Amino acid sequence: MKLLTLYNRVNIITTIIVMLITGIIYYQAISWILNDQNDKALKVEENEVFDYVNLNKKLPQEFESKDQQISFTEVAPNSVNREFINTDYHRDKNEYESGRGLISSVTVNGKYYKILIVESKVETEDLIQIIFGITFGVILLLLLVLLIANRLILNRLWQPFHTILKEMKLFNITDSQEIAQTTTRIDEFTELNQAATTMTNKARHDYRDLKTFTENASHELLTPIAVINSKLDTLIQTEDFSEQQSKLLTDLYSAVARLSRLNQSLLLLVKIENRLLTDQQTINLKELVQELLTQLEDIFSDKQIEIKTNLENKEIMGNQYLIEILLNNLIINAVRHNHPHGEIIISLTPQSLSVKNTGSNTPLQDDKIFNRFHKSDKSEGSGLGLTISKQICENMGWQLNYQHVSPHHSFTIVF
Amino acid sequence: MKLLIIEDEEGLRESIEEYFTGDGSICETAATYADAISKIELYRYDCILLDITLPGGSGISILKKLKDNHYTDGVLIISAKNSLDDRLDGLNLGADDYLVKPFHLSELKARVSAIIRRKMYNGSNLLVFNEITIDLQAKTVSVLDKPLKFTRKEFALLIYFIANKGKVVSKNAIAEHLWGDGIDLADNFDFIYSHIKNIRKKLIEAGANDYIHAAYGMGYKFAGQ
Repeated sequence: MKLLTLYNRVNIITTIIVMLITGIIYYQAISWILNDQNDKALKVEENEVFDYVNLNKKLPQEFESKDQQISFTEVAPNSVNREFINTDYHRDKNEYESGRGLISSVTVNGKYYKILIVESKVETEDLIQIIFGITFGVILLLLLVLLIANRLILNRLWQPFHTILKEMKLFNITDSQEIAQTTTRIDEFTELNQAATTMTNKARHDYRDLKTFTENASHELLTPIAVINSKLDTLIQTEDFSEQQSKLLTDLYSAVARLSRLNQSLLLLVKIENRLLTDQQTINLKELVQELLTQLEDIFSDKQIEIKTNLENKEIMGNQYLIEILLNNLIINAVRHNHPHGEIIISLTPQSLSVKNTGSNTPLQDDKIFNRFHKSDKSEGSGLGLTISKQICENMGWQLNYQHVSPHHSFTIVF
Repeated sequence: MKLLIIEDEEGLRESIEEYFTGDGSICETAATYADAISKIELYRYDCILLDITLPGGSGISILKKLKDNHYTDGVLIISAKNSLDDRLDGLNLGADDYLVKPFHLSELKARVSAIIRRKMYNGSNLLVFNEITIDLQAKTVSVLDKPLKFTRKEFALLIYFIANKGKVVSKNAIAEHLWGDGIDLADNFDFIYSHIKNIRKKLIEAGANDYIHAAYGMGYKFAGQ
């Protein structure tokens, strides 16, 4: 729920409740005051009747004025209690209006009479209605104006907030662009802006530190790996190894080779993320794919994998080194996760390049395969190949998608 | 041939020295910038193995000094800095080749041999080893003047072996030489075997000696002399 909606909802509910209560009290008050007025008029009329009886020793005529009716009825002595009543006022034969009446009594010449004086309340009620209507209208108008004003003012007041929010959504830790300073007179937003800037700067700083650390660590590892490698190369020159020793040496070589590749991959990844490999040249992808396939043909035939290609011409501007790594990674993956007598289908169109391979029947988890060090149980790779490929594609502004349509796993680069 | 190894890491320097010594080669070493400068001012070498990061200065300055003095020593940069800029800087300044750490000694030897071969270029571009003659320009191999058909990889492998004759070369080193170190092929080197089998068969059928021997299952050795 939006803040404004919530605010308005609370505002309206409170206003309505308060208005209802005030309205009831207001109505009661006005009714009481006007009834009191009526009652006073009725008392004046009663006194006039008493005066007339005292003076003339007979009842006045029953009469009917515009808004008043007086009637006398002879009743049993002392049977009447003086009281004010709400009753009907007969304007014409069949026309009733609400009225206020006073029942009283008078004794004339030994006869006991009930006096009923009725006054029309139409004017009073009209008055109440008008007063109440006007008041109600004014309050409604006020409420409406407040709502509109709130909407406009709040929207405007919150503008800096939305600006800051938008900046934060656009924030990318690898970019060097800072969060823009939003100028606002509102302290809270200024503070928010400052906090956002501080936070993003810190995040970026930490990220840079981490990257530098990765780079330095990988770099420092190079020399010891080089030493181990060269010592192994020297060691195998000494003659006469038993079978067991040569097996151990072979394992050592493999482990060092893996360590060295892993290290190179980490360094490469840092370089790609930092966009340090920038020199561009025109690359004919069709030729490059063909060249790489020739380079690897003995590996395909060793694994008895059939290569099918459907290559159209496509030229791009890019870094030759990175594009070679990208294509190599995808093709080598297709070999590594293939089974003997499997196939690899490579198709290149002006819009996309896809590498499809046969392999296991279960699809890969496409939300994880591009993560660092995510690899299938049997994989002997570094776990960085697809991460590097994805990063290269991102740098080039391409998409790298994975799809599994049995029996093929396919990776597609969309240019 | 006479080599100068400029490398501050002792372990690496010693291994390189040991691998290159013998076979008629003389190695000298320098561990610091000052040491290296004093050596190149006094002596000339067929090839200088040059590390970039040295105590006391940069290998790049040593390279500049060599070029400023118009010395014609071959220079192979060995560096932990695998950046294209460095590579281009080095090559633009006149280095003959650039090898990134970590590397196999057999790869280093092959590169050094290539540099020295180019320096001693005498118009023929022939590499002769006993009865085997290799034309590096035309990329052809002949045994006893009889031309053989070699594939591109077999050709590269033969030159690699000859450069490392008398040494055991590991399968890892061969794989990296043929397919590049960027290719992560794990531990399956069966396909190397078929290349080697082919080379042996072709050489023997043409009447050459059987030079290539498997070495304890971890590599191969091209018998010297």
